[in-house]
Amino acid sequence: MKAIINKNLIGACGLLILLLGGQVGNAQDQTDSTAVTAPQSKPKPKPVKNTFEGIWLIDNQTVLVPIKGTFEMDIMHRFGTLETGYEDFYGFFAPSNIRLGFSYVPVNKLMVGVSITKTNMTWEGYLKYALFTQTKGKFPVSLSYYADMAIDTRGNENFYHKSDRLSYFHQILIARKINDRLSVQIAPSVSHANVVNGYFKTSGSVADSTYTAELDGEMEHNHFAVAVSARYKIKPSMNILFNYDQPLTKHLSNNPNPNLSLGIEFTTSAHSFQLFFTNFYSITPQRNNYTNKNNPITFVSFNDITFYPQHFLIGFNITRLWNY
Amino acid sequence: MNSKAITAVVVLSIMILATAFKINYQETPKPWPVPEKYAKMANPVKSDAESLKTGKDVWAKHCQSCHGKTGRGDGSKAAQLKTAVGDFTSTDTQNQSDGALYYKSAEGRDDMPGFKKKIPDEEEIWAVVNYIRTLKK
Repeated sequence: MKAIINKNLIGACGLLILLLGGQVGNAQDQTDSTAVTAPQSKPKPKPVKNTFEGIWLIDNQTVLVPIKGTFEMDIMHRFGTLETGYEDFYGFFAPSNIRLGFSYVPVNKLMVGVSITKTNMTWEGYLKYALFTQTKGKFPVSLSYYADMAIDTRGNENFYHKSDRLSYFHQILIARKINDRLSVQIAPSVSHANVVNGYFKTSGSVADSTYTAELDGEMEHNHFAVAVSARYKIKPSMNILFNYDQPLTKHLSNNPNPNLSLGIEFTTSAHSFQLFFTNFYSITPQRNNYTNKNNPITFVSFNDITFYPQHFLIGFNITRLWNY
Repeated sequence: MNSKAITAVVVLSIMILATAFKINYQETPKPWPVPEKYAKMANPVKSDAESLKTGKDVWAKHCQSCHGKTGRGDGSKAAQLKTAVGDFTSTDTQNQSDGALYYKSAEGRDDMPGFKKKIPDEEEIWAVVNYIRTLKK
């Protein structure tokens, strides 16, 4: 595996240093109950709350693991790209991708979930564990680990081996609540595909009997990427969302495109609604990162006048929470 | 049109008319007894700027959709409830003790959900009580 770390990784590291080193935060560190009953004692810092409003930030997970006993249902929808314009009403009537997911927090700090996505009838099982939470004087950032296993459940004719159906995704989520309005997150990830397209790598010549042909993969089985996300609160129940995913691994061919997303989020006691532009279509994280064909910087133009980015699409996430 | 079709149209019309003129009366809230332990409980969270900010944020997320932005009971969901949500700016609410407001917020009853599971940090519920005090007329 040859992961070539490019300039983008250096930029991502810079942001990480900012996250770790920036002590400008006045995030919500509150006094605990001990301090309330004995106001004279120095209050013990508490972990910050509401770094993000939910477990999703457009196509990425957030560092948040809900409180124990939270059951969540997610409905995620991605329309078609703007590419064909009015013909399919800017993707609105194009084939869409839909995901239905359920997650639960059985013990503190651990979330488990299962989902099904329309593309390739993909089932996913996933978990997220909060390793530590931003606390003044203790942890400058919150850190969680997210893992996802996906199984493609199309017919047997699409696979040679059962294991070819499987793919995996691992991500470290590092986030900091800079202040009451702004939270940022950086999330390096690795996607693993059990099967990739192959080709014959040849050498030598037939004439002198030195010819060899060796089967090799067009893409690496492991693909590294990094996501940078931010939430900016404009009203108590309304946020602006930003997300950028940069591929890091270079493959021989079929290199995936980066993703750029911008959206708005509305939250209530039991629901959250995110509406956004993105050029990720697949919803399943490893497929998004590994196979994204939508280029964020190609535009529809006419007579040299640029109109709109053709590979962007409209998407929304709706979540419903229950507490048991 | 045969007689069966005419009968079906008449029955459907009556059903639609009956629905159109149905008035959804909300019940007046019945008395809500508060255990003495809570009624006398002192608010452990001082009503300062930080607490009021926390209370306002929690109010906006969890309370506003029914109780309204200013607590007058005119939230967007209020009309769908069986029970009138009341006016928090009134003396009926403001004369209740902090402990009573805390108990009702945490435990809930009928249409009013209990928030002790959704907001496990008791101080945040007390902060909402502090914020409710700022809604007084």
